[in-house]
Amino acid sequence: MISCLIVDDEPFAREELADILEAAGDIQVIGQCSNAVEALQAIHKQKPDLVFLDIQMPRITGMEMIAMLDPDNMPRVVFVTAYDEYAIKAFENHAFDYLLKPVDEQRLAKTLDKLRKDLRPKDMTVIAPDSLEILPCYSGNRLKVVPVKDVEFVFSDLGGIHVATATSQVHTQMTLKLLEEKTPLVRCHRQYLIMPSAIREIVLLDTGAEVITPSGAKVPVSRRYLKSLKQMLGFQ
Amino acid sequence: MSLILLLTQQMCVYLVIVYLVSKTPLFKLFTEEAPRFPHKLFIYLVFSGFCIMATYFGEQTNDAIANTRAMGAVLGGLLGGPVTGFFVGLTGGLHRYSMGGFTDVACAISTTMEGLSAGLISHYLRSQGKRELIYSPVLVAMVTLYAELMQMALIMLIAKPYDQAWELVRQIAPPMLLVNSLGAAAFMSMIRDQKTMFDKLSSAFSAKALKIAERSVGLLSRGFNEETTAQVAQIIIEETKVGAVAITDRDKLLAFIGSGADHHIPGTPIASQITKDAIEQNKVMFADGVETPYACSISRQCKLGSSLVIPLRNDTEVIGTIKLYEPKNKLFLNINRTLGEGIARLLSNQILYGRVEQQQNLLTQTELKLLQAQVNPHFLFNALNTISAITRRNPDMARTLLQQLSQFLRINLKRTAGLVTLADELDHIDAYLNIEKARFIDRLRVEIDIPNELHKVRLPAFTLQPIIENAVKHGTSHMLDTGHIQVKGLQEGDEVVLSITDNAGLYPENPVEDPEQKGLGMNLVHKRIQNQFGCQYGIQVKCQPEQFTTVSIRIPLEEV
Repeated sequence: MISCLIVDDEPFAREELADILEAAGDIQVIGQCSNAVEALQAIHKQKPDLVFLDIQMPRITGMEMIAMLDPDNMPRVVFVTAYDEYAIKAFENHAFDYLLKPVDEQRLAKTLDKLRKDLRPKDMTVIAPDSLEILPCYSGNRLKVVPVKDVEFVFSDLGGIHVATATSQVHTQMTLKLLEEKTPLVRCHRQYLIMPSAIREIVLLDTGAEVITPSGAKVPVSRRYLKSLKQMLGFQ
Repeated sequence: MSLILLLTQQMCVYLVIVYLVSKTPLFKLFTEEAPRFPHKLFIYLVFSGFCIMATYFGEQTNDAIANTRAMGAVLGGLLGGPVTGFFVGLTGGLHRYSMGGFTDVACAISTTMEGLSAGLISHYLRSQGKRELIYSPVLVAMVTLYAELMQMALIMLIAKPYDQAWELVRQIAPPMLLVNSLGAAAFMSMIRDQKTMFDKLSSAFSAKALKIAERSVGLLSRGFNEETTAQVAQIIIEETKVGAVAITDRDKLLAFIGSGADHHIPGTPIASQITKDAIEQNKVMFADGVETPYACSISRQCKLGSSLVIPLRNDTEVIGTIKLYEPKNKLFLNINRTLGEGIARLLSNQILYGRVEQQQNLLTQTELKLLQAQVNPHFLFNALNTISAITRRNPDMARTLLQQLSQFLRINLKRTAGLVTLADELDHIDAYLNIEKARFIDRLRVEIDIPNELHKVRLPAFTLQPIIENAVKHGTSHMLDTGHIQVKGLQEGDEVVLSITDNAGLYPENPVEDPEQKGLGMNLVHKRIQNQFGCQYGIQVKCQPEQFTTVSIRIPLEEV
C-alpha cells in the first residue's frame, strides 16, 4: 500500500480526489489537510509516501511549502493545480508529476502507474523558492504565519524548534538546518540561530558570549561561532 | 463777420481730422469707458496739438489772437478727465504765452482753467454715473460757452491797459463764443455717432454669432455626417444670408445649401482647387471674385462668384472645410468673412467635443465590460471545478450550484451601465456567494444585514459584487482560519453607507488611490459612483493588517 496525504484548501476537491484514489485499490489516504501549515505537521508526523499538493492555498502556497520541507523528510510530491501557467511550465521542464483540476481519472491512473514503478522522492530544489519570507508556525492549536523579518532568534530543545519574535514564541516544524539555508538567520550556537538585524549588543563571557536582542532576550553564543559572528558584523 | 468765417474755416479743419481718425482703430481711444494712462496720453497729445494749431491758425486782432483754442482744451478735459484737461490747457496756455502780445498772461491762465474745469465737469458726471452726458453736444456747447466767457472775463481783469482789453473783447467775443461752442458740439456729436455705429455693428455681429452658436450647439457633436452638416449649413445660410453654404470632409461634399444646389450634390468628391488647398495647407482660403477670380469647377452656369473656404480642425488635423459663397452679382461682405472664421472655430470645437464624449462613453462601456469580464475566468473556473468535484458524491447539490452559477452569469450578462436597486445588487451577490460558500464550506461565513427599507435605494450596477468578490479573493480566501464577511447597510441622514468588512485585513491601505493595486475593480466602482452622484460619495477603505478590512460605500438615499 502507498500511504498518501491530500493537501488542498477546498474540501470538495479533497474528497473527490480521495474517492478516486481509494478506488485505485493500492493507495491509502492517511490524511487530508486544508493548508500548508497543517500539511507540514502531518508530513512530519505521518511520513506519507506520497503527497498530492495544491499550489493555490492561503498564505503559504504549495511551492513555498516545498521549500519548508526538510530534504531528508521529503515525500514524493504530485502537484495539483487549477491554472498556474508558470508552475505548469516548471513541472514539465523538470519532469515533475502534476495533475490539472478538475482531476481527470485517466490522467491520474497514468500518474499512479508511474509512481508504482518508482516512488523515490525527487529533488525539488529547482522549483522551490531559494529563500523564505514567512515561516509556518503554531502555538497550541493556532496556526500562525510569522514573517521572517519579525524573527529575532530560533532555538531547539527537547520540545522541538521554537521561533522567537519580539512579542511571542511559537513552534515550527522546520529544522534549524533548513532555516539556516533558506533565511538570513545565522548559527550562533549548536542550538541557536540569530537574526543579524536583531543583534543589539554582544556581551563577551568566559564561555563565549551572549547576544542581547531589541526585546531584551539573551541568546547564547558559543565560542565556536563567536569568531564568525564577530567577523560578519565587522569586528576584527 | 469775417472773423466768424475765418474761425469757422479753422474749426472745419479739425472736424475733417476727426472724421479721418474715426476711420482708424485709433478712434476707439477717444471713447474708452475708463481712460487708462496710454489713452490719457493719447488724448493729451491730440488735444494739446489742437490747442497749439489753433493758436497758430488764429487771426491777429489788435495785438491779440482770435482763435479756437478753447475747443481743444474743453474736449481734452471732457474726454480725459481733470488731470489730462489741466495739462492740455497748460500746454496750450504756455504755447500761447510764448507768442507774446498784451493778452499773453490772461490767455495762458484762461486756457489752463478751461481744460481743468472741463475735466472737473467730466469727473463729476462720471462719478454720478451720467457718463453718457459727456457725449451730449448740447452739454459740450454749454461747457465751451462757459469756458470762453471765463476767458473773456480774465482778459478784461488781467490784460492791461483795460481800454484796449475792452476793445478786444468787444471785437472777438461774439465770434469766438459762437464758433468754439458750435465746433466743440459738432466734434463731440461726430464722436458720438461713430461710437453708436460701432456699438450697433458689433452688437449685431455678436447677436448673429450667438444665434448661430445657439442653434447649432450639439449638432455636430452627434457626428460629422451628411445629416448633421446639412442642418448646420441650413442654420448658417439662414443667419448670414450668404448665397450658399457648403460643408465638406476631407474627400467629398457633405452638405450644400443655397444657390447652385442643383449641381453641387452632397456625396460627390471635392472638385475645387481652393478647397483642396485649404485642406492641405490648413489655411483659410478666400477668392473674392475681384482680385482672386473664382469660378465654379462643376458648372459654367453656376451663379456663384466668390468663395471663402475655412478648414475645420479636429485638434491637430484638418477634417474638412466649411465654405461660404456669394453670387457673382453680390460682394462678399467682410463681416461674413470674419463670421465664417468664427463659425468654423465653433464647429471645430463641437466636433472635437463630440469625439471626446464618444470616447468617454466608449471608455465607460469598456470599463464596465472589463468589470464584467473580470469576474469570469477565475471565478468561473473555480466554480466549475467545485461542481465537478461534488457531482459524484452529491449530484443534487451539483445541480443546485449549476443553477446558481447560471443565475449569476445571467445577471452579469444582462447588466448595463445604468442604475439598479440595492435589492437587485443583493440578488447578484447572493448568487455569487452561494457558489463561493460551496467552495470554501466552513471556511467562509457571510452575514448580510441590510434593512428592508434600504432595498429600493439605487446605485450603479456592479457596485457591491466586486467589493464582496475582493473581500473573498484578496481577503478571506488567504486565511488559515474561518473567514467572516459582514455586509451592513446604514442610513445616515440623506445618505446610505454600505460597509463590507472581512476579518482578514489583507488589503493594501488605500487601493482606491492606487489603480495599480488589486483595486482595479474597486477603483472603477469608486469612479462610477462619483460620476453618478458627485464627489462627496464613493468608496473608503479602512484596514487593520491581519485584523480587518472595511470598505465603505457612500451613496445618496435616492429611491426608485
